[in-house]
Parts: sequence; structure tokens; C-alpha cells
Amino acid sequence: MTREKRWFPILYMFVVTALFSSIVIGFTGLTRRRVEANAALAFERAVVAVFPELYEANMGSLEIHRVFTEQISEPDATSGGAYTYEQAGQVTGYALPFAGQGFWAPIEGVIGIDTDRKTVRGIAFYEQNETPGLGAEIVKPPFKKQFEGKVLAAGDKPIRFCRPGADLGASDVHAVTGATQTSTRVEGIINEAVKQWQSEVGRKGDVP
Amino acid sequence: MSPAGGPSDTKKLIVEGLWRNNPIFRQVLGICSTLAVTNLVLNTAVMCVALVFTVSLSSATVSFLRTFTPRNIRMMVETLIIAFYVIIVDVLLKAYWPEMSTNLGPYVGLIITNCIVMGRCEACGTSNPPKTAFIDGFFNALGYTFILLIVATFREVLGMGTFMGYALPYFGTPAWDKWIIMVMPPGAFFMLAIVVWIFRSIQIAKEEGVK
Repeated sequence: MTREKRWFPILYMFVVTALFSSIVIGFTGLTRRRVEANAALAFERAVVAVFPELYEANMGSLEIHRVFTEQISEPDATSGGAYTYEQAGQVTGYALPFAGQGFWAPIEGVIGIDTDRKTVRGIAFYEQNETPGLGAEIVKPPFKKQFEGKVLAAGDKPIRFCRPGADLGASDVHAVTGATQTSTRVEGIINEAVKQWQSEVGRKGDVP
Repeated sequence: MSPAGGPSDTKKLIVEGLWRNNPIFRQVLGICSTLAVTNLVLNTAVMCVALVFTVSLSSATVSFLRTFTPRNIRMMVETLIIAFYVIIVDVLLKAYWPEMSTNLGPYVGLIITNCIVMGRCEACGTSNPPKTAFIDGFFNALGYTFILLIVATFREVLGMGTFMGYALPYFGTPAWDKWIIMVMPPGAFFMLAIVVWIFRSIQIAKEEGVK
């Protein structure tokens, strides 16, 4: 019988693998553009979301894309890696992407900064995989809203995360809980990005 | 397990999968994902749909190929088939429901290593016709689903005060001090142990009643 032959299992495995792989490859190819578009859109949504006057929570994907293409410009030589929000040729805000390791997985997001280069307009995350109900609360409005209007302080910690219930200064926000690793990581990631950015573009006033 | 034919065999498969031989509280398989994805009901539901799809179809496919597959490489073939279906689910989620794909993170891919899937392929798929294997896989996965939904409901309600993301009366208000531990990994161990305990007790009581 053919099944008893020594070469049969090898050939069989080869054929079965080739068959299933081709189906998967074909299928992935069919959906690839959609998958890539989804990733791009998640980023665009985050950029738009850091400017509260541009963004509404129920905006559809098409609308997000339209606002992004019309109002937001790609990073240029003067923006230090930040996307810019322009109105009538004038820069009215910066959207600075940040990324780093969270407690479980990478966290990526965008922070919106005013033209004075120190007032925070808003914050958004487009990639995170923190503990639902705990670290993942960073993507919920109550956490994000805190950042609006905060002032990035000079020195080592532009934004400081304090334990919930603590009194807040102009550069402080409440962490998710007093002991979430996610908060510590996010604080580090944001501050790293902001310091790097400020060192490139200067702190205030010197807009060309 | 005898080859299925009439409706009574189908009924037997249903009872086996959902109750008598339930994957969670009887076979105690697939516990890893039970612990991992049950902190929100919606995530759990999607995960279970993915599992129902994977188990039933991979078991049927294994069964379909069972007369050709050499015994010594059958596990490799089974893994391949399972991975095939799981990748399909993963790609579908990434393309059409990216938010859910982000929520579930790596867990969709980890269905490949879910013991229930390979367990059903081995126990039923390799020795029964495709239809039997499909029904067996389907109802085993449903048996897994209903236990997971119970666990997830308690975890989400007690831990976050919501159900499917909607705030509940009382639990969603400040009057309820959220049991954060329920949405963290330890909460899963507690809930799972309690659920298995309750269901096993009922099962044993019934079996003794029959004797």
C-alpha cells in the first residue's frame, strides 16, 4: 500500500502544507490592504483626537481621514517629528507621537501640544494591551481628559503622575491607581518623548 | 465513541459536549484561555465564537483526511489544520474588527495551542466521519463557551461594574466598591475554581441520584 511507503508521510505533509498555506496566503493577500488601512486609520484617529476642537467621539472613519488629510500636515524640519495642525497656513498645534514598552506590550500614542510648546491640548493612544479594567483605563476619557490644559514643566518630569486623590499642580495628573505599572511606564514614555522633542524645537516663543 | 447516524447519536454528542464531558469542568482542558480572556464579557464572546469555528471545522477537516493521513505524522497535520483556521479568524478580525483584534491581542493566535481543539481532533476527528466530528467539536466548544460566559459575567460585573461595557445599576455606581482583583489574573482562578466546584457538585449529585 502506498501509505506504508517511507516517502509517503513526507510527500503527504508537503502537499497538505502547500495546500493550506496557499489558501492562507491568498486570504491574507485579499485582506492586506484593509488591514493596513485599519492601522493607518487608528493612527490618524489618535492624531485628530488630541485636538479636542477637531474631534468628536462618534466620528466615522471617512470623516477622520478627511479631517486628517485636510487639517494635519506631516512632520517637517521645524516640527521635530511632530505632526502639525494648521489653520490658514499657521501652525496652531503639534501632535507628537510617542511609543514605548508598557506593562504587557508596547504602548503607542500621540500627545497634542499647543504652539507655546508647553500647554497640552490632549492625548490619545492607538496601540496598547494593558490589563483591562486597570492599566487599560488609560484609553478611557476620564484618564485622558486630565491632560487637557496641563503645562509641561521644565526639568526632568514635564508631566508628573500622582496617586489618585493627591492634590494636583499645573503639570500633574492622577495615575490610574497608586500602584499600576502601566502608569509608571506611560509617565516615562511621555516624558521621554516630550523632553526629546522640546530639546529639538525649543521650549517656547521661537516659532519662525 | 460510536459512528453517528441517527438523531439519538447527535443528541448524545450534544449532551456529552455541553454537560457530561464538558471541556472545562469535566475534561479540565483549555484552562489557559479560560483564565486569560474572561475579564470582559464581549472579549470572551468573540473568543468563544472563534473557538467554536476552529474546533468544529478543524475536527471535521481532520476527520475528512483521516483515511489518508499516516498515523505517525497525524499530530503535525492536525496542528497545521488548526493553525490554518485560527489564522483565518485572526486575519478576519484584523481586517473587519480591528478594535476587537487589539483587545484580544495575542489570544486569538493562542487558540492554536488550546488543548480543547487538539483534544477533540484526536479524540473524535481521527476516528469518526466528518459530520460526527463537526457536531462533536461544535458542542464541545459550546460547552466551553457557556462556562466562560459565566466566569466572564461575574468577573466583569464584580470587577468593573459593567456588563458588555454598559454600566449596571448599583454595580456601576460608586455604591459598589469595585473588586479590581476580579479583572486581574487571580480573579480568574477564584471564579474558575468556584464554577468548576459548583458544576462538579451538581454533576456528582446527579450521577449518584441515577445509581
